[in-house]
Amino acid sequence: MIEGITVIDFHSHANAIETMGARNDPASMLRAMDATGIDAACVFNCTLVSGMPGNQVVADWAARYPGRFIGFAYVSPVMAESISEELTRCFDVLKLRGIKLLPHRTRWPLNDPVWYPIYAFANARGVPVIFHTDEMEEMCPPRYLADVAPQFPNATFVAGHSGNTAGGRAETIAAARACPNVYSETCSTYRTPGAIEELVSGCGAERVLFGSDQPLMDPRAQIGKIITADISDEAKRLILGANARRLLRL
Amino acid sequence: MTSLHFRPRVPVFDANVEVDTDPDRPAPRQTRAALLAELDRHGVERALVWHAHAERRGPLGANRLLEEWLGDDGRLLPLWSALPTVESLAQIKALHAQGRVRCVRLSEPRPCGLPFRPWAYDALLSFLTHEHIPLWIGIPGCQPDEVVSTLQGYPGLVTVLYGAHYVHALWLRPMLQALPNAHLELSRYEPLGEVEALRQEFGATRLLYGSWYARYVMGPMLYYLHHTSLSDAELALICAGNLERILRGESQHD
Repeated sequence: MIEGITVIDFHSHANAIETMGARNDPASMLRAMDATGIDAACVFNCTLVSGMPGNQVVADWAARYPGRFIGFAYVSPVMAESISEELTRCFDVLKLRGIKLLPHRTRWPLNDPVWYPIYAFANARGVPVIFHTDEMEEMCPPRYLADVAPQFPNATFVAGHSGNTAGGRAETIAAARACPNVYSETCSTYRTPGAIEELVSGCGAERVLFGSDQPLMDPRAQIGKIITADISDEAKRLILGANARRLLRL
Repeated sequence: MTSLHFRPRVPVFDANVEVDTDPDRPAPRQTRAALLAELDRHGVERALVWHAHAERRGPLGANRLLEEWLGDDGRLLPLWSALPTVESLAQIKALHAQGRVRCVRLSEPRPCGLPFRPWAYDALLSFLTHEHIPLWIGIPGCQPDEVVSTLQGYPGLVTVLYGAHYVHALWLRPMLQALPNAHLELSRYEPLGEVEALRQEFGATRLLYGSWYARYVMGPMLYYLHHTSLSDAELALICAGNLERILRGESQHD
């Protein structure tokens, strides 16, 4: 906790990326989280498009470290025939609480109807969907969120990395202004001066979520972006935990 | 105990601040006063500064433009930029003759096709080695094999490798092992737990706090360093002590 706030990291991985030095080690993640008062991390395992073994890993982490890891499901239209069954299993059996999508690993932009069954599921359950977004990647610029979010008003659409670049932040802000169910998320190694302040003033602090992308990045550096930003204490409280608690109904 | 607010508990000397802006990008004009205000906001006492025009326009003009940023309050110290040209080396030597060169940063020549090889760089590297002047080398865009093989020919040259990112994770450690006089500036290097792991493997004396402001925000890495298992003595070395030692012309083996 930080000054009485339950801090939630909305963007973490339960999988390794060994080529970039990211190890699959929950104990290391918890050590870094504890060092700076992060109570819980939303985790997803994006190793296989079927989602199945990875989603089980996520559920196992959540069971092994109760209250510390919040499991999100990973599915992909690359295996469209299994999406509905897998999402149902993830939420009803594994008790996961959100969905992570990586459109840049497919051939379909996130506003293509091939994704709609996933959005319809999130809409029916009222759960958040977090996307990898990047202004420079053709399948997932944040502006596409504004095409789909109005069609699924009970789901929440989260722009992971807030599009990474200045242009991506501008798209994220425009989408959030147009759609009340679009949120921005802060993790990125593009630590541009003024980026957090821009998201807060553009989206409103109530629609910005702290994320770290651990283990690719250390959550201590990423939370440092929020703590050292020139924003109000109330904005920090919302970004670090209150917004995530509201979305996840914790 | 963590807080919504942060101030460093040790003196901080930023090893990498880029002043002014890339001349080809739209950006508001920066000022020395605004930079000092940013240092103050994050509790940073001093910074090494280099001029952004060195990358797109070359070091001669960039170093001249850097002069107006330095002031006389001792808070901004020059990190002069250099290329392996006769004119650039002459400029560095002239500044050195005035007692004003404590460190030099390599401008990135690769867009012009110049490899980092002794046949191109010997005059500059030999001069820096002889005068005990440390050299800053950017990791983004460098060819690791060139860096290692070339620097191994100048074992007395102290170097600072800056701007490493997680995409460089596979070769960064072997590079530090191969170059015992190389130090790692930490502005962008943030794989999970790596600060403690690098401290464990190489010692705190090989690590430097740098922000690479104004490309990157100044506070997060400083905050990160203050929330590790580093002792206060190690933290003080990384945040200022190692840089002060390097600028005195000392390697960690002296």
